[in-house]
Amino acid sequence: MLRKLIHNRIVRRVASMIGTLLGVAVFVFIMLRAIPGDQITAGLGTEAAALSPAQQEALQRYYGLDQPLFTQFFSWLGNLFTGNLGYSARAQQSVLDLTLRSLPVTFELAVLSIILALLIGIPLGMLAASKPDSGRDAFGQFVSLAGLSVPAFLLATTLLSVFASSFGFNPNGQGYATLAGDPLLNLRQMLMPAIVLGFGIAAPILRTTRTAVLEIRSDDFVRTARAKGVPARRLQTKHVLGNALVPIVTMTGLQFGYLLGGAVVVEQIFSVPGIGRQVLLGIQQKEYAVVQSTVLVIALTFVIVNLLTDLLYRVIDPRVRAS
Amino acid sequence: MTDIARTAQLPPGTRKGGHRLRSLLRSPSGLTGLIIIVVLAIVSLSSFFHVLPYDPIAQNPPARLLPPSAGHLLGTDQFGRDIFSRVAAGVAGSALISVVAVAFSAVIGTMGGLVAGFYRGFADGVIGGVTNVLFAFPPLLLALSLASVFDRNWFTVAVAIAIVYVPIFIRVTRGPVLSLREIEYVKAATSTGQSQWMIMMRHVLPNITSIIIIQVALSLSWAVLTEASLSFLGLGTPPPSPSLGSMIFEARTLVSIAPWTMIAPGVVVVLLVAGLNLLGDGLRDTLDPRNRGKR
Amino acid sequence: MWQRSRLTRGALLAIGVATAASSVLTGCSSPATQAPKPGASGGTGGALVVGVTSDPDTLFPWKATQFQAVNVLQNIYGTLTEFDKDLNTVPGLAKSWETSKDGRTLNFTLRDGVTFSDGSAFDSKDVKYSLDKIKDEATAAVAAASLASVTSVDAPDPQTVVLHLSAPDAALPSNLAVVNMAMLSSDDTEASLNTTPDGTGPFVLKNRVASQSLTLVKNDKYWGDKPKLGSIEFRVIPDESSIVSAMQSGNVQLAVFDDPLVAKTAAAAQLNVAKTPQLSYHVLQLNGRRGDLTDLNVRLAVQCAIDRKQVLDTAALGEGTVTGPITAPAFKSNPDQRPCPARDLAKAAEYLGKAGKSAGVKIKTIVSQGEYSTSVNEAQSLKAQLAEAKINLDLEVLESGAYVDRWVAGDFDAAVALNGGRPDPDGMYNRYFTSTGNLNKVTGYSSPELDKLFAAGKASTDQHERKAIYDKVSVELENNAPWIWLFTSYAYTATTSQVQGFIPMANASLQYLRTTAVN
Repeated sequence: MLRKLIHNRIVRRVASMIGTLLGVAVFVFIMLRAIPGDQITAGLGTEAAALSPAQQEALQRYYGLDQPLFTQFFSWLGNLFTGNLGYSARAQQSVLDLTLRSLPVTFELAVLSIILALLIGIPLGMLAASKPDSGRDAFGQFVSLAGLSVPAFLLATTLLSVFASSFGFNPNGQGYATLAGDPLLNLRQMLMPAIVLGFGIAAPILRTTRTAVLEIRSDDFVRTARAKGVPARRLQTKHVLGNALVPIVTMTGLQFGYLLGGAVVVEQIFSVPGIGRQVLLGIQQKEYAVVQSTVLVIALTFVIVNLLTDLLYRVIDPRVRAS
Repeated sequence: MTDIARTAQLPPGTRKGGHRLRSLLRSPSGLTGLIIIVVLAIVSLSSFFHVLPYDPIAQNPPARLLPPSAGHLLGTDQFGRDIFSRVAAGVAGSALISVVAVAFSAVIGTMGGLVAGFYRGFADGVIGGVTNVLFAFPPLLLALSLASVFDRNWFTVAVAIAIVYVPIFIRVTRGPVLSLREIEYVKAATSTGQSQWMIMMRHVLPNITSIIIIQVALSLSWAVLTEASLSFLGLGTPPPSPSLGSMIFEARTLVSIAPWTMIAPGVVVVLLVAGLNLLGDGLRDTLDPRNRGKR
Repeated sequence: MWQRSRLTRGALLAIGVATAASSVLTGCSSPATQAPKPGASGGTGGALVVGVTSDPDTLFPWKATQFQAVNVLQNIYGTLTEFDKDLNTVPGLAKSWETSKDGRTLNFTLRDGVTFSDGSAFDSKDVKYSLDKIKDEATAAVAAASLASVTSVDAPDPQTVVLHLSAPDAALPSNLAVVNMAMLSSDDTEASLNTTPDGTGPFVLKNRVASQSLTLVKNDKYWGDKPKLGSIEFRVIPDESSIVSAMQSGNVQLAVFDDPLVAKTAAAAQLNVAKTPQLSYHVLQLNGRRGDLTDLNVRLAVQCAIDRKQVLDTAALGEGTVTGPITAPAFKSNPDQRPCPARDLAKAAEYLGKAGKSAGVKIKTIVSQGEYSTSVNEAQSLKAQLAEAKINLDLEVLESGAYVDRWVAGDFDAAVALNGGRPDPDGMYNRYFTSTGNLNKVTGYSSPELDKLFAAGKASTDQHERKAIYDKVSVELENNAPWIWLFTSYAYTATTSQVQGFIPMANASLQYLRTTAVN
């Protein structure tokens, strides 16, 4: 019975996920303490030198820095299980509340970027694959090369300054609007950051699509279908794209996971209050609980997205389905 | 940043080296990439041999913010420093950091992948666990935190980037090693009593070199981007050493009054990354056994 | 970029305020000529959006040192005394004060009819509570040391507060004018104020979304002239260039920059930019307890080998003024009264020779990257100049956290710094250069002469006498070269054309938002 349980794929997968998260927790905890300075010096700067010993002690108690590291780690970990992610003295809010506000923002940005990337990547990838080594293929290759090679911060800075100075278009200069509060303004604010991120992700998706389509086209069943006289367009969309979906979905899932932490530069430039910026601010202010819990949340989302990608993969891959 | 996900995925296999360069030159992307990289390398090497027109960090206030001219090919920045010289030195700096970072991660990652794939069992478990942890950590945030741990200089930035990239190399090499392990001649070597270390070095490693080479090329472009992003966030190469990322960062405030301060480093960073990407593509075309005979 | 736009903490402990008239780059607005809008209740009178790179890291005034926090809290809380735009100490919550003949008691008469924003009355009980608490080390208030001379506080009646001093303290009234000395209600606690500020200032906190925005509305019960603005939103835009973009598109109307380049961009974008000379000063701090720098001759050699104007020109685009130690207008040091007013390499070599170091010295110098825009360039320029005198600066460029760590531990030979100035020279340097000063452990330099001079400066209330004393302090400091004073720079206030009546101050303080109007 126990043996069976250990060999159960799902149980093993979940156990490995928990192990990974625990590893992330330990790692981020240690790394933060290794960064010079603490919340006191981050708050007071060089004025911290003027603190008397008694003041210093009072502040350490206030920030919980007087506890031994071991206690700090396990009380943080223990609190996590009760849903207490810690408290941010800077924001005067619990980390849970902060995260509940910032995670959806980054999530929305990631989804929009992925949609844009798919809209650019799949058609162009199919176009490129429809006639390899032709002009349209070269065009596709060029777009994907540009997407891979133009750094997000360069594109972001350029877009922002060009649009703001030349067209006076800068929705991001108005305070951030939530999707629920003012959907129209929110979408306008998400437009430029999503374009920047989406352009970057479009490249790998385009490449994946192109390769997958080329490979599948040479597969036997497509040849058979063609021989049977299935019309070209239907063949293209149904058979070829249907089968190319597997690698595309895998790639999309991967990219989505990376976007959660990787959007930080773009969030910073466009003042989008996402989760990457929450970590960045936490690192600056040396708010240990904020960084630890937020990174753990990002890691959790990442492993869940990976899991979902795997599951989806099983659902759509005809070969896996068949077996 | 996001293309960290791109990995070299090809089945293991060996090829004789002589044809490689020739077929790389025949692949259009490979050739273009090679040309770009060689040109940038020559320009940046000139910064090591002190043949640049100006000292890239010498300030010359009277020559502040001059537009491009014969004297200053790409103009000057807010301190009167020659942008051409700075860009050249910046490419050298970026290249140095990226090469060192990728070399580190390639060596450590490949060793990790070899050990994990070859010995399996406990070693595989530990290495796999570490890989999973590093993967679940947002890459840019990881590099950023690591970069703030150490006293900052080009070497520590390289180490930070290397740590982020180690798991990629582990993952890329482990799979092929696993399958090679089961191949007859490797099994045969084991039965003749060769030491496991010898087998790994002699029979397994040579079979995964193509994968590693391609991954190195792809990783280099990623490392250049990461270094630039870190510099942009103020955590890359410390000034005054020029870095493409920090040049763009500084130019941001100037872009409306002196656009050339942004254009030059911007174009060069794009060229550098594009060149490395093209080279990586070319290498893949050349080395991927599935492409054999296709072109 | 995240650490880039913060001013140094020295400057952040913005105890100092306005200096002389602020000069104008491009058509700055003149002080409030706008007729106040009718209808005095909150919400009317226009809304102003101020662009800031970061939101306050605390809302508790006694612990606030961050520039953004000080700026917000100054508009919410009141202090016993205040500074006017010319740096004079003027009545605040205390309508008058007098010092006893022996200088050992200070009597404050409080304004009547003042209330906190929660509606409760402000009286002497609150003053006693506040001052006692600030002095209490368990509170960890950053201004505690400014009350060192206060032995006890009495509140004989609701309108009178008596401070008993251990020795005369001429600097005390001006030390009370900062937001770190804010008067809090004796009913409030730190925990409650962290989320719900309760002050006596011209504005009241209405709403805060952490790291996005913070909105103040007019306090209708404010004791002074009613603010013209109905509301002020401090909107967080982490990137300074993005703030300029937001001002161009009209979404933000006011912002303060410290980077001359950003100011230049803002001016190029048709915004009004006013530049205000700052009390804060750029300085090369030498650690007189370490290595070769223990020798006065080596320090003087450093002093003589530097052309300050050139540092200013290369590092800060010439945007500033060469300065001596004291930057407050009323006590200003003469920058020419120093061993080598102009760079003198021969003299530097001579000093090195006297120290027996003709072969040259090596000085490990820490530089913070990002705290303020010019740090690394200053270090670079200093290194280049000193190298010509065989003085080798070994630069360590550190992230701000690491810099602060090293600085607090005194672990450096030299440090490139931007320090906050104060209107009173005692508040400014007593803590660094007297043997009992709370920062002397970092400075590492004091002398019986300086101790005596600072004590005399504190005891005298005569302005001329004090000026003469602090001139001597300046000379004493320059002749012993514990630090090498370089230059002061500007703060740049960018406004759109709708903004009127804002008066920029020497610490980039936003105190005069209370007289500002938008149309």
